[in-house]
Amino acid sequence: MVLGLLIGIGEGFSPGRTTNVQILWLHLPPSAQFPNGFSLVMGTLVDPLSALVLMVVTVVGFLVLLYSIGYMHQDRGLARYYAELSLFLASMSALVVANNLLEFFLFWELVGVCSYFLIGFYYEKPSAASAAKEAFLVTRVGDVMFLLGIFLYFYLYAAAGPAGLGGWAANGFVFVHNGQPFLAGATSSSTLATVAGLMILGGAAGKSAQFPLHVWLPDAMEGPTTVSALIHAATMVAAGVYLLAVTSVFLGFTSFDQLVIVAIGGFTAFFAATMAVVHPDIKRVIAYSTISQLGYMVLAVGAGFTAVGLYHLFTHAFFKALLFLAAGSVIHAVGTQDLFKMGGLRRSMRLTSVAFAVGGLALAGIPPFAGFWSKDDILASVYSQLGAHPLYWPFFLLAFAAVFLTAYYIFRAWFLAFSGSGPRDPSLPHAHEGPWTMQVPLVVLSVLAAGAGMFAFLPGFANLLERGPGIPPHFGTTEILLSGASLALAVGGIALAWALWGNGRVYALPASSPAQAVRRLLLERYYFKAAYDWIGARGVNTVARAADFFDVYVIDGVVHGFEGAFGGLSDRLRRIQSGVVSDYASYLVAGLIGVFALLLLIAPFLLARVGGG
Amino acid sequence: MTGLPEAGFVGLSAALVAVGLFGILTRRNFVLLLIAIEIAMNAAILNFVYFAAFAPTPGEGLAGQAAAVVLVGFAATEVAVGLAIVLALNRAKGTINVAEATELRL
Repeated sequence: MVLGLLIGIGEGFSPGRTTNVQILWLHLPPSAQFPNGFSLVMGTLVDPLSALVLMVVTVVGFLVLLYSIGYMHQDRGLARYYAELSLFLASMSALVVANNLLEFFLFWELVGVCSYFLIGFYYEKPSAASAAKEAFLVTRVGDVMFLLGIFLYFYLYAAAGPAGLGGWAANGFVFVHNGQPFLAGATSSSTLATVAGLMILGGAAGKSAQFPLHVWLPDAMEGPTTVSALIHAATMVAAGVYLLAVTSVFLGFTSFDQLVIVAIGGFTAFFAATMAVVHPDIKRVIAYSTISQLGYMVLAVGAGFTAVGLYHLFTHAFFKALLFLAAGSVIHAVGTQDLFKMGGLRRSMRLTSVAFAVGGLALAGIPPFAGFWSKDDILASVYSQLGAHPLYWPFFLLAFAAVFLTAYYIFRAWFLAFSGSGPRDPSLPHAHEGPWTMQVPLVVLSVLAAGAGMFAFLPGFANLLERGPGIPPHFGTTEILLSGASLALAVGGIALAWALWGNGRVYALPASSPAQAVRRLLLERYYFKAAYDWIGARGVNTVARAADFFDVYVIDGVVHGFEGAFGGLSDRLRRIQSGVVSDYASYLVAGLIGVFALLLLIAPFLLARVGGG
Repeated sequence: MTGLPEAGFVGLSAALVAVGLFGILTRRNFVLLLIAIEIAMNAAILNFVYFAAFAPTPGEGLAGQAAAVVLVGFAATEVAVGLAIVLALNRAKGTINVAEATELRL
């Protein structure tokens, strides 16, 4: 953690510095296709972009490790837990400082497998095991697209001729090699470049749980809460956003790609927020919130504001980790995740309730907490780009509307858990705060969640954000109006949450109301999971059945057919071996006659040839 | 040596082969089988002697006659081995009918 902070601070105070250390991993000699040869390198690249994310990873990682001492102390698999968490932190840090796409992909897969291990940490529980499998498979869809994207970019460089490919391939896909985004050049409108960008987006969507690959993240909450805080809120899921940022800075997206990214980001931000509105599980509410916030980041990167997106990544990591750890503290104390059983925890868990409130305020975007600065930066940035394409409008409005939902759902959770006079379910154990190892991270993260937004005003930190295009626009009248509007929405959301759920109230929808149908739709997650299950069960099963049929009847059929034919043939031939000398003699004679007959037949031709020669 | 009826000699050889083959295919008695083989073989020896007469030089004609003599030796050897098998077969199975010697069948 100290190293990560030092790197971050060092980068901050030396603007634009990049440090690249690499070793040659593999070199293929020059060929006609690759005039400069082909290299693979492994290296680390520290520039403002990676330093920023590295700070997040190390700081949050350290706090989560500390928190885990208290949270996991009675767990049997403690050694396994720490081993997997350490592996995750190592690969995540390596991913952040990877200096080329292939290395990036390598560690991308490593964090993926760590995520799989940790979601399935309670592997005796069937739901945890299947959630781990689901997460792995869904992100795999994205990973395959990511790999295809790498291939396509490689091909594009090949098409760019020796100068492009020779440089890039010979240097082993190293990001730092090209100062300029590659696609800024002539090929930026080519279809292949667009497809390559979309493939990269697919990879990012898988990792960052963007629509339509969002289904795995809520189920990933089967893992320990600490894992949710570290992997599925602060770091790994942000790797997708980081990938988009890196790609947009070093390779560049086409304008159509940007539109698609904006669409997915804006839509996801709203879509996920709606599902968070009704969910009774405290962790899943925060999980949907994570998807929604990642949508904001994707939106910002898609609109070309890489720095703004990463700024939100930075602040989000702190307040979301805080929310998860506070939720973990609650779960640790009361032993349930059901919000409707909790209540009145404010009295017995003062620190946690304050921490959760700070995280909630930051998430909702109430100044001066962190989320306000970064989220409003995003909204203002995208607003300034609305002229770029008419289709940006609806997604901007969706993201804007999500502000209201965000404020509502997070304070609904807070009121349900902490306000009121006591737990709704009297069988809950008497709650108390965790040990100091759990409290210290909460305090530290609370400070960060409250203050991280103002880091942008620190002289060193601002330098970190200045990599690549997309400096936050300066605040003018429009931006202030925009901020005012979003602030009003956020406050409105909180007020609605208080009106419905404050002071231990429970708001029940009338049973016959049409709103019940909406609620049901949201709880069933728009039936996406059911649809995917159906596709998985029916679609894959059908294919598997067809393959099985083909295997049994066609492939095995051919094999067995040959076997039968030769078996029958040999059975017949066996009878020839009578052992009787006279029979053999007659075969001999028959063969002799056959040979003579053949010679007689072909003799004219042979003679003709001899004569001709 | 000219003036020999060519068609007659070649026809004689062919007839001997045919008789020998007929014997080989029809006889079940091992001794008769051996005799039939000898008849077929003698057709080949006769051909050597006969075509030696048409050699351009007497020296080359001699080669054919030499081959005939060698083949007579071979035939004798073969009969010796064949008769030894007959004795062994008779001792082992009490018969010299070849149709009953089928132990080597698969």
